[in-house]
Amino acid sequence: MSSTHPTRRRLLAGGVVAVAAAVVAGVLVFARDGGAPPAPAAAPAAAPAAEPVVAGTSNCGKGWAPHAGDQTVQVVNRGTAATDVEVVAIPSGAVHGELEGLGAGLTRPLRVVLGGGDYAIRCGVEDVSPITGPVVHVAGPPGPAGVVPVTANDLAGPLEQYTGYVTTGLTTLVRRTTELRDAVRAGDLGKARSAWLPAHLAYVRLGAAYGAFGDADGAIDGDPGGLPRGVADPGFTGFRRLEHGLWHGQSAKQLTPVADKLAADVAALRKSFPRSQIDPRDLGLRAHEIFEDVDRETLTGGADQGSHSELAEVAASLDATKELVGVLRLVLTTRYPRLSEVDSGMARLASLLAGLRPYRPLGSLPRADRARLNGSVGDLVEKLAPIAVICAPRRTS
Amino acid sequence: MSHSRRTFLLGGLAGAGAGLLTGSAGAEPARPASLAFHGTHQAGVLAPPARQVAFVSFDVIAPDRAGLVALLRTITDRARFLSAGGSPAPEGIAGPPADSGVLGPRIPGGATVTVAVGASLFDHRYGLADRKPAHLKPMRVFANDSLDPAWCHGDLLLQISAVDNDSVLHALRDIMRATRGGMQVRWRIDGFISPPRPSGTPRNLMGFKDGTANPDVTNGSEMDRLVWAGAGEPGWAADGTYLVVRLIRMLVEFWDRVSLSEQENMFGRRKDTGAPLSGSVESDLPDYHADPVGSVIPLTSHIRRANPRTAETDASRILRRGYNYDRGVDGAGNLDMGLVFTCFQQDIGRQFEATQERLADEPLTDYIAPFGGGYFFVLPGVPGADVYFGQPLVG
Ligand code: HEM
Repeated sequence: MSSTHPTRRRLLAGGVVAVAAAVVAGVLVFARDGGAPPAPAAAPAAAPAAEPVVAGTSNCGKGWAPHAGDQTVQVVNRGTAATDVEVVAIPSGAVHGELEGLGAGLTRPLRVVLGGGDYAIRCGVEDVSPITGPVVHVAGPPGPAGVVPVTANDLAGPLEQYTGYVTTGLTTLVRRTTELRDAVRAGDLGKARSAWLPAHLAYVRLGAAYGAFGDADGAIDGDPGGLPRGVADPGFTGFRRLEHGLWHGQSAKQLTPVADKLAADVAALRKSFPRSQIDPRDLGLRAHEIFEDVDRETLTGGADQGSHSELAEVAASLDATKELVGVLRLVLTTRYPRLSEVDSGMARLASLLAGLRPYRPLGSLPRADRARLNGSVGDLVEKLAPIAVICAPRRTS
Repeated sequence: MSHSRRTFLLGGLAGAGAGLLTGSAGAEPARPASLAFHGTHQAGVLAPPARQVAFVSFDVIAPDRAGLVALLRTITDRARFLSAGGSPAPEGIAGPPADSGVLGPRIPGGATVTVAVGASLFDHRYGLADRKPAHLKPMRVFANDSLDPAWCHGDLLLQISAVDNDSVLHALRDIMRATRGGMQVRWRIDGFISPPRPSGTPRNLMGFKDGTANPDVTNGSEMDRLVWAGAGEPGWAADGTYLVVRLIRMLVEFWDRVSLSEQENMFGRRKDTGAPLSGSVESDLPDYHADPVGSVIPLTSHIRRANPRTAETDASRILRRGYNYDRGVDGAGNLDMGLVFTCFQQDIGRQFEATQERLADEPLTDYIAPFGGGYFFVLPGVPGADVYFGQPLVG
């Protein structure tokens, strides 16, 4: 089968804790775009030979004596099972630092920046309710806010909403793909070329659900990459295959089986979708990955098979991303201070695209427009990326 | 003129210049691992060249003047951090790591980011038309140029230099990540300086020591005459300087098929020692006075044309910084490598262009192909922690 959207990461299966997101405990994004300069101050070196803080099901948080500011403590898992370790604010539960999957017997450094307040260490071992260690008071000026973890429960509403959007979108997709197929069958390739774009865009707008579509995604919208015979490979099917034929002078007779299969695959997808599940982790991940694809495939011209509909694809990807940010908005408002920059980034891209209508091939854009387009997408995708980390569901109880 | 037919060196017949001996000679002192970020001038101008460098030209896409200010602030913050080093604060669960990690958890510092602007920044977009530096204009086309528009000009240029290549790339990624909405790369070339072989000034990819003769950067009044912006500049531009970048491919396969004496006559220096043909060691000054017709150092040789060492040409001297580049292979299977020629000066017309015009049709032109570059104005330094690059220009 042809390869699917290569940028869409596969969710890591390996984590010891079922809901562990594919994210390593990170480091703070220093304020960009004119915000406060980062503190060039050195992180204090790992605590010199002090007794490590204990994590695991017994004595979670024992030995932890934090102070205000930037600090690194060694954490040891004295239990027999791997544990997640978090530094949480009490009572808000906001997470300030995290070690994922600390193996039994292992010691690892954990770095946090704390302001004045009450904190505790929380240990999460699989199949056991998370254990919160003793509450410790830190004296000092206020520090970074931390993020209140998103739970699977928090994502239930967004997931339901998004599933509804996909269900409606699939209906549109089926209708438009049927029109496309009918035009090909009727031998009206001019009409088929006009019908191709709306049908393909209907698929692009479902960008966050590709994971749930499984193999169908490759059949419907795969590219010829990885196929031994490239565009001539029988495994190359779907929208891109049809695009290739429609814009490379292939006959209706040649293309009818391609269109038939595409219409059948799309219809089957609509039928099977209610029985499949969008992974809640996908919501956050796809918030930036739809545009990672745009950056990698569309803006390079790499995905095009002749229709040169790159700008329309960028616009449809923006629709798809807007929908995702929309369903996640409630979850994000209290957790992502730069959400307004996501909105202004989306607005900037939208107005740029509006100014480029009627859309022409990407390759014929004046260089200044191309730079603005690349920059607007690049800026937006940077601002969308934290959503994946913030919206990775975590267990809190 | 056909590019592939080389011009034969003409033993000099023309009259000679006075043998004015100017310019220091010999290897420069080593560059310190890290340069102070704050100062009247940007540190990356007079410092001895770093081993690794990237020249990255950007189109500014900030929507308006406020966006340009934000961009310059961000560049300043990043440059300050990349110079000083440190550890970005941990992100917790609020986002991906702030740093690429290419340099490990603690950024050692020592990357020097030098910021310059091109003439196009002073068009209608940001309301800066009346503040353009007096001598700033788009790069001209010179005899023997084969310029590719995709490799020319730019609104803003960063010269990113460091001891190691990973530091340069780390800095570039850091800055680009923080500024995607404000500027986009137009062209980029990476350069390097070779170690001394075996001693003295490092060699270029034609095998000659390159960078021997230069104005004396420790001589303040010489720098005031030759490098720092002078009279007639807008007030904000004081303490800036002009930077010319010329991307010059060397036709190294052709070059390697040329005899040693012809190569040496083209430059006017010995290939092995770097000594002028009139001397015996690299630090010897070329003697044109005793050689009026060019029987020792040909009148058409690169060094004699570039700097005839006369009273009349003294004010046209430039502070040269050349870096080797290597860009792979072309369609003919030939190596694509050459020189990122750069120079700092007070007045591009009086200095670089005058020098370049003297070099027109020099024998060396048959072995080189200038394909890109641009003219830029290096902004004044950032004197303190609360100031940003270009503040007196845009603030
Ligand atoms: C690929 C192109 C070039 C090569 C391979 C090259 C190479 C050299 C070499 C080997 C020297 C002698 C050693 C030294 O003093 O550094 C030299 C000197 C010099 N070059 Fe170039 N150069 C190139 C382009 C240019 C350009 C474009 C300019 C200016 C327009 C220039 C200006 C000079 C000057 C001013 C000197 C010093 C002359 C003196 O003061 O004695 N060069 N160059």
